[in-house]
Amino acid sequence: MLATSPKSLSGCHEVVDNLPKYDTCGDRCALLHSRQPRYNEGHPQTHSLLPRNAPPMCRFHTIVGIVFSLVWCALVPPPHESTLWGAEPVSFELQVQPIMAARGCSTGACHGKQRGQNGFQLSLLGFDPEFDYAALTMNARGRRIFPAAPDQSLLLLKATGQAPHGGGRRFAVDSEEYRILRDWIVAGLPRRVPDEPTLTAVTASPTEQFMKPGQTLQLEVTAHYSDGSMGNVTRMAMYQSNESAIVAVDDDGVIEAGPIPGEASIMARYMNVIATCNVAIPLAGDVPDELYAKLPRNNLVDEHVWVKLQSLGITPSGPIADAKFARRVYIDIIGTLPKPNEVREFLADTNEDKRQQLVARLLDRPEYAEHWANKWVDLLRPNPYRVGIKAVLNYDYWIRDSFRQNKPYDQFVRELIAAQGSTWHNGAATLFRDRRSPDEMTTLVTQLFLGIRLECAKCHHHVFEKWSQDDFYSFAAYFARVGHKGTGLSPPISGGEEIVLTSKKGSVSHPLTGKVLEPRPLFLEAPTIDPDSDPREALAAWVTSKENDYFAQVMVNRIWADLMGRGLVMPVDDLRATNPPTNGPLLEALANDFRDKQFNLKEVIRTITTSYVYALSSDPTDRNIADTQNYSRHYRQRLRAEVMLDAIADITDIPNTFAAMPPGSRAKEIWTHRVSSLFLDTFGRPDPNQDPPCERQEDATVTQALHMMNATELHARVASDKGRAAQLASSDNTPEQIVEELYLLVYARFPDSDERAFGKKLFDTATDQAGRKQATEDLLWALLNTPEFLFKD
Amino acid sequence: MATQRNCEGFTRRDCLQLGMGGLLGGGLVGALQARGDAANATKREADSCILIWMDGGPTHYETFDPKPDAPVKIRGEFSTIATKLPGVRFSKHMTQLAEIADRLSIVRSIRHNQGNHGAGNHYMMTGSPPRIPVGCGAFVSFHPSLGSVAARELDAPSGMPAYFSMPRMSRSGGPNFLGAKHGPFVVPDDPNSSSFRVRDVALPSGLTGDRYLGRQDIRQQIDRMKRIQDEAAGDPLLAVDEFYQQGQQLIRSTKSQQAFDIHSEPDETREKYGRNGFGQRALLARRLVEAGVPFVTLYEGGWDHHRTIFKELNKKLPPFEAAMAALILDLEERGMLERTLVVALGEFGRTPKVNSRGGRDHWSNAMSVMLAGGGTPAGQIIGATDRQGYSAIERVLSPENFASTIYAKLGINPGKIVHTPEGRPAPYVSDPTPIHELMS
Repeated sequence: MLATSPKSLSGCHEVVDNLPKYDTCGDRCALLHSRQPRYNEGHPQTHSLLPRNAPPMCRFHTIVGIVFSLVWCALVPPPHESTLWGAEPVSFELQVQPIMAARGCSTGACHGKQRGQNGFQLSLLGFDPEFDYAALTMNARGRRIFPAAPDQSLLLLKATGQAPHGGGRRFAVDSEEYRILRDWIVAGLPRRVPDEPTLTAVTASPTEQFMKPGQTLQLEVTAHYSDGSMGNVTRMAMYQSNESAIVAVDDDGVIEAGPIPGEASIMARYMNVIATCNVAIPLAGDVPDELYAKLPRNNLVDEHVWVKLQSLGITPSGPIADAKFARRVYIDIIGTLPKPNEVREFLADTNEDKRQQLVARLLDRPEYAEHWANKWVDLLRPNPYRVGIKAVLNYDYWIRDSFRQNKPYDQFVRELIAAQGSTWHNGAATLFRDRRSPDEMTTLVTQLFLGIRLECAKCHHHVFEKWSQDDFYSFAAYFARVGHKGTGLSPPISGGEEIVLTSKKGSVSHPLTGKVLEPRPLFLEAPTIDPDSDPREALAAWVTSKENDYFAQVMVNRIWADLMGRGLVMPVDDLRATNPPTNGPLLEALANDFRDKQFNLKEVIRTITTSYVYALSSDPTDRNIADTQNYSRHYRQRLRAEVMLDAIADITDIPNTFAAMPPGSRAKEIWTHRVSSLFLDTFGRPDPNQDPPCERQEDATVTQALHMMNATELHARVASDKGRAAQLASSDNTPEQIVEELYLLVYARFPDSDERAFGKKLFDTATDQAGRKQATEDLLWALLNTPEFLFKD
Repeated sequence: MATQRNCEGFTRRDCLQLGMGGLLGGGLVGALQARGDAANATKREADSCILIWMDGGPTHYETFDPKPDAPVKIRGEFSTIATKLPGVRFSKHMTQLAEIADRLSIVRSIRHNQGNHGAGNHYMMTGSPPRIPVGCGAFVSFHPSLGSVAARELDAPSGMPAYFSMPRMSRSGGPNFLGAKHGPFVVPDDPNSSSFRVRDVALPSGLTGDRYLGRQDIRQQIDRMKRIQDEAAGDPLLAVDEFYQQGQQLIRSTKSQQAFDIHSEPDETREKYGRNGFGQRALLARRLVEAGVPFVTLYEGGWDHHRTIFKELNKKLPPFEAAMAALILDLEERGMLERTLVVALGEFGRTPKVNSRGGRDHWSNAMSVMLAGGGTPAGQIIGATDRQGYSAIERVLSPENFASTIYAKLGINPGKIVHTPEGRPAPYVSDPTPIHELMS
């Protein structure tokens, strides 16, 4: 079981590999090389060329000097002693810019940030060679470079600390960096060298690795060029671990497994191109293979989870009993607790497939739509003070109606992205009243429906990703012709009607070059745009295409996170190579299944809730207690604010009352966060003033505890003369029957004998009706204030 | 061309003129070398800290670092006034703080590289830059906040939360891996209102104390859900237990109920602080500190003046600075100032040039931070920006230095290494060097 030699980690990386491939550099940041690079496996491992006294500003720069010299040795014939005019030409893009990146000059903390540092600005990690060339050779009246006396160039004086430099000394006068930069100046600042190939990709080896605690491993990073050649750039790359306590990585790319079992992703960056390596440290000790072989496999979920657990030596918890399953699945699918008679019937049901039948029944219940729509309005709901009440109400109706119809998810998204018409008649059009500019729409569409965070690429090349500004604004160009007619925004009322339409003109241009950009998707082939239709229709087709892996994956990941307590990718809408899923094959299988079933959301929910893994207990085994991401046990979740408030209404039999809603409305039906509710706010409902208002607070707080114990409104519900406690107390029920009913209402299970006895004792001193009511209230209050009510277990 | 005319030229010249070339180049290396020494600085100078968070990034020009000799485009519309300190001038609205400048320490030279709200808030509130780039709208937490660390390290009187935040929590003011139990106790209600009470802390009317205790007893006896005690399991029930316990202590504690009772404060005192939300929260903060609470954050939004900054500040600054001055004087009169640290800051300073909309934008190359009390040597200005306020150039300090100072004053070792639930070691501050001028 234990990995004594490298072996393949079960597929974590595959999902990334399977995502669409395209030019990792983008056309604006192509890296050129001055010479034909030759892959030289036998280059000497030298460690002593550069001092390692690291100035503290940047983490990764220390070794880069050595690094560069090694690459230099590998790529270039022995340098001439002479540094006179006519020396070998030096490539700006493949030799000068990499120094600026690797020594930290062009990083986001230094000259790479948006306004540069002290007037000297470079593009972030060298993504814009033209800009950097101008910055070095022409800006500031050309004083950064002094060809007549190269050693007096400000560039060299500052970088070596000979002149005052806020960033301290980046390399020494006798370093290779110095020599290269100096040679470049001496050679007459060539912008390009003839026949330079381009950098096409960077890869890391291995991409997946099992390790034992304490083990170390040298990561190798390779640059691939357009002429088919490769170069080892291991010592020119910068490294970072996403979990350095589990697996650390040093500046030389040496990976070290820590003492604790777990998983980590190592990122290697050369210039602005990234490669990753996923490392896992399995739990010590052997688990017999039969254990996994014998585990039930209800559907595709189970197989993938067991494979992953087996690879890590983790064993799953046991299964839950029927009552707990019912409570879990009611909460998950329809957002309510099962009623006492429903619990009784389900427990009495002797059908073998009664769980599957229950799931099927719940998926058909009307509450399904309200519950799942309530999750989507979190993501889409605008502030009515901004866009107007009527538009918000229509939008809310459109979202709910889509879930009531069980509209295929791809259709839902297409209708949103290409929405047209009046905000008073087509609710979906409100999206374009709220998000009015092409760049706002770009950020929203990519994050929500693709799990790609493009925000960074709005202002500069994405630091962790391949997206450039060109990508961002070409995507935005799909929204260039969104037109508005009618009454625009006029906060705080914004009451008017607005028509969203396809305008005849409108364009998006690159913010730096000013070039007007044609609509282009982020990857895959661009769908043809019918000249008579809105370009958004082509975009909607691309986003929802079955070839677009991101589309299905981010949605199944959201659903999985809701049902299982943690996303396969976290945060749920951040899919990228540097943030790999904890179980890539599972994510992929779920996404494929979703596509095969025509993007039917109910089928994804059915698959997950009928899996064996879904019905695992939260009680840990000694081999899964520390597992918080591989689903070897159920991860407890506090009930969602709306679910909890509706449950309290059902349990106390005192319906909710909300402003602007009919009496007895469910909290899940609230159509705007502006409908005030202290309870919902306390339990983490998003703040409508925040923009975008989609962050939910899931942590427990002392205010929640205080609210459950002391809130005036909750007290009134428990103590009401019309409420549940009063009804039960005045009924013919015996104390035992009252206790049983309360347990069924709040916990959705029967009390055991101890609980019955304890509950009954509370009624011993109750001599009259008032006493019975008081005992009922006290037990009800106590049940509501225990975790067994507050959590989905 | 205008954008090319910038700080590089004169920064360098100034350095050379002042003979400080080495300071800028070696300052950071020096700071690193000082690490070891500073890590042991744990003599407690302050019992409590009141942190006034000016959300949005307060201008340094119109507060503590005016530049009257700069071109009008930079110095702005406000004149300057003399303070109690010879040769030190504040901007014109800071009248009451100018009067008590001899009780204050102003740091004019904190500088960092996080120019948006999400990241700037995180850096100043935690002493740690965000681990990945974040945007302006981000509410992020990668590291525990000053208040949460204080809550973890310092005792609060029984039944009282150790960390209050009013009227809300700041973006990065949370506990992160220290766990929700060290998050702030938020008092959203307005203490300026005549019906102010801290909600849900008092028993609902109609419920007697005896019956409440009886219910708690039942609750404990019927609570049978199994807890997973191993921290690595991350069982959310443990936090709920903590909060129920804490909530009960709060309900039962007469001391806390008294501290919340701002209505018992004489009218005269309430007027001094100003009958507005911020003023009364400052007064409530004093009452909490008096009751022994170690950390209180007063969150005050509305400092992001991208437009019409002068018009806005004409309204905003006078009552605000009056409340701060009232707080400091009140603490002093009660003999509490010596052991109570008052700090005021935001995420960064603002741009030197007034923009075309009459505002100033984000600027993290320079910012001013005000401190008073808690053993802080009074009547001093630490560090300086250049002649036009572009950049901190003298005694350049980092958010790490700032956070370390707060910790060191509260007797917390800023270099202390704690472990996340996953076992990852993390120091409170990566560069645990306090600002020595602020230490007594």
